[in-house]
Amino acid sequence: MSNNLLNYITSKQHHVYRHDCTIDFAAEFSAKKLSPVERMSERFVRLMAMETPVILPDEKICFLRTVKNIPDCFTEAEWSDIRNKHFIHESGYMSNLSPDYEKIISHGLLAFRDEADVYGKAAIDAIIDLADRYKTEAKKTGRDDIAQVLERVPCYGASSFREALQMFRIVHYSLWLEGNYHNTVGRFDRYMYPYFKADMDAGVIDEVSALELIEDFFISFNKDSDLYPGVQQGDNGQSMVLGGMDEDGNEVFSDLSRLCLEASRNLLLIDPKINLRVNRNTPIEIYELGSELTKAGLGFPQYSNDDVVVDGLTKLGYELADARNYAVAACWEFIIPHVGCDVANIGALSFPKIIDICLHKHLESCESFDEFMEKVRMECITECDEMCGKIKDLWFVPSPFMNVCMDCDIYTGGKYNNFGFHGTGIATATDSLAVIKKYVFGDKSVTKAQLIEAVDSDYEKHSELLAKFRYEAPKFGNNDNEADSLAVALLDIFADSLEGKTNCRGGKFRAGTGSAMFYLWHAAEIGASPDGRRKGEAFGTNFSASLFAKLNGPLSIISSFAKPHFDRAINGGPLTLEFHNSMFSDDDCIHKVAMLVKSYMDMGGHQLQLNAVNPEKMKDAQLHPENHRSLVVRIWGWSAYFVELDKEFQDHVMARAAYRV
Amino acid sequence: MTGTVFDIKEFSLHDGPGARVTVFLKGCPLRCRWCHNPEGLSPKPQLMYKEAMCTRCGRCFEKCSHPECAPYGRCIKICPGNCLSVSGTEYTTEELASRLSAYAPFVNTNGGGITFSGGEPLMQDDFVCELADKIRQKTPMHLAVQTSGYADEEVFARVIDKMDYVMMDIKLADRDLHKKYTGVYNDKILRNFEYLKNSGKEYIIRIPLIPDITDTEENLKKISGIINDSPAELLSYNSLAPAKYDMLGMKYSLENKKNNKVDLGIFKNAKLS
Repeated sequence: MSNNLLNYITSKQHHVYRHDCTIDFAAEFSAKKLSPVERMSERFVRLMAMETPVILPDEKICFLRTVKNIPDCFTEAEWSDIRNKHFIHESGYMSNLSPDYEKIISHGLLAFRDEADVYGKAAIDAIIDLADRYKTEAKKTGRDDIAQVLERVPCYGASSFREALQMFRIVHYSLWLEGNYHNTVGRFDRYMYPYFKADMDAGVIDEVSALELIEDFFISFNKDSDLYPGVQQGDNGQSMVLGGMDEDGNEVFSDLSRLCLEASRNLLLIDPKINLRVNRNTPIEIYELGSELTKAGLGFPQYSNDDVVVDGLTKLGYELADARNYAVAACWEFIIPHVGCDVANIGALSFPKIIDICLHKHLESCESFDEFMEKVRMECITECDEMCGKIKDLWFVPSPFMNVCMDCDIYTGGKYNNFGFHGTGIATATDSLAVIKKYVFGDKSVTKAQLIEAVDSDYEKHSELLAKFRYEAPKFGNNDNEADSLAVALLDIFADSLEGKTNCRGGKFRAGTGSAMFYLWHAAEIGASPDGRRKGEAFGTNFSASLFAKLNGPLSIISSFAKPHFDRAINGGPLTLEFHNSMFSDDDCIHKVAMLVKSYMDMGGHQLQLNAVNPEKMKDAQLHPENHRSLVVRIWGWSAYFVELDKEFQDHVMARAAYRV
Repeated sequence: MTGTVFDIKEFSLHDGPGARVTVFLKGCPLRCRWCHNPEGLSPKPQLMYKEAMCTRCGRCFEKCSHPECAPYGRCIKICPGNCLSVSGTEYTTEELASRLSAYAPFVNTNGGGITFSGGEPLMQDDFVCELADKIRQKTPMHLAVQTSGYADEEVFARVIDKMDYVMMDIKLADRDLHKKYTGVYNDKILRNFEYLKNSGKEYIIRIPLIPDITDTEENLKKISGIINDSPAELLSYNSLAPAKYDMLGMKYSLENKKNNKVDLGIFKNAKLS
């Protein structure tokens, strides 16, 4: 590995090349009355022209952002007009796509110039122009190796592994500079494998030099990532998918996949974020390689189970070959490369909010728990109707270069145009239902009025119920059907509520198990809850147990969390578990952890995020951040440097219970 | 019949081969100074109190009518911070065997099983034997025991014969030092070791490395002489004082000590972990 390059980037020495862009594009474009696509095209061409080629010492894969910021294309007044007329998702870009890197790497940009529209052509020309200037710089500084690579890419198809990696970098870099975000990496070990194998077979590279190249390439994801937009530093969507099956069902995991895991473990950088696809044919050895990486404490790999995901996606109408080719969006949402234009994170349902509504609106009138569950179903349908109904006239900022990189017209829609909803707080809602079922309708030890008063007073009233609900009541995660069956029912209701609906792009709606940042936001929307959660306390992240639940241990957790019908709720969102880093102390432990992960998949789990954590280090890092700059933690669907997070996110990670030896 | 258990740990990593579930039985005749499971010493249920999390709200001192709180003079079911709990749950063999059989699919497919630990599981020998029989009737699983080896020969033999795998400690070779640091002489232990060696059971001898107590060259050489080529595992010392001592209002005297360097070469068949 090039330690020099790694140190150079982690110590941020390359920031010296950065400069601000002070152009007020919005005002200028507005005055010229340019159309949205003209604006995006012109901004991209001018930003590319402003870029200065910089080749860092020792790097083999070049392209560095020197323009720090990307000024908006639209004035505030124009945005407000757009927002009045349309539904705008997040900041307006079509994010979370998985571009067709394969076609561009194999054919080169020039191959797509003729068929591209005028804006696509302009984008391609601007990229080639910057690449030419890089080539000149490379020659000038005696980097003939880089100049030689740039003779071929990005204009023509790559003829070597190194050229293929450089081509990816140029494309990815350009997508970011165009203003797109959550630019995913897709199935890297599929589209890169032909180049890797050819060079290995021909003896151009060996394992050592291939690993060096991969590490150099992985470092490139971390050069500009602080400039990428996200809720927090690290939330940038650079998700790489490894392994799994191909379109025909054959295993993909290769020596290249293995070297990627090794590179990540050596570098200890937060990007790219590794997703490992597994299925019933995946041998334990691959899980062991994954667990070795988990041990490194980077909060990945995240596992997804082909058997469950492919089944769920085909039931939603995805063609089998496309479903088998699924990739992972920024966090965990399942998306289809090249042809999918799903908006997998368009909204989020708060399960606890539904329970809260039913508690206040319906509990008093319900004679039985079944009747109460019917009200839950009704309110969930109402809430979903409202969420879906709000999304009409969806409008995207045009992305001419992204459009070149896909195998569909993203403006009019891809082969798949489904919208995905997260489902937040499943455990809080489940545990709340379990309390209502057991104590209000079951042994009747708590009256309806008492429960409502307790919740509304944040347990100041009937305070004896607090400990009972928090610690004695059945909890989702204990392999106890009393609670687990309610979680299964909730997800079924969520799926039922979305079934049969058509969205404004002609697609469907997908129910999911993720939370994104809503585990804090949705928790703040309601007060205390019947599970003994007090006002102000967060929900568990993603698909996980309540933060204060007393659980039997990881076997019970995976058993409980494998029960829901994921084939009907397959938008994505992993069971999230934290293990103390002492659980990874030797090879025997790694082997056993690998068995646990495999068991979750064998039980029918859909997705798993297992994190090795060090609570003692986190505590010290809050007090002495300067000593822990490199401490990494997993937040919801991404990893981050602990010290760069806002305290509320730090506190949540620390509040999650870590299973210990 | 019933027994007292202070923990059931799912997915325990260091308690035998494969993926296991460990049942910790309460009560131990030894008083090792380095004991990391102090709640396993007394055979009776005990109150555990997490003082660091206590806000001194005083609710636990308000009168309650729960029968399970009566022995402790305070309410153990009211604490909003979950600071009070009782270590020690009574199970019938039937209840526990049923609960453990739920783990069979997982442990059986992952080369694991159930481990009985403690405390000293041989202190509840009848319970363990009946439990082992019940488990084998319901859903056969690989059964292992972790023992100090301190029991009457008849008891030791009866329990060992029910097991598939035995992990037995030999802590100190010297009879008097053994008494000094663990509270008992090692005669029974050494005699039971002879039984174990000849039992035909798969086993491993575990030697806890305690700084300046068991990890001395003299002690290790003597143990090596006793166990000869028996498989052995030397367990490195974890210097952190177990938080459980505070919770039980007990003191721990071996904090922040480090192991002496150990020469594995004096053993014929040992690994260090």
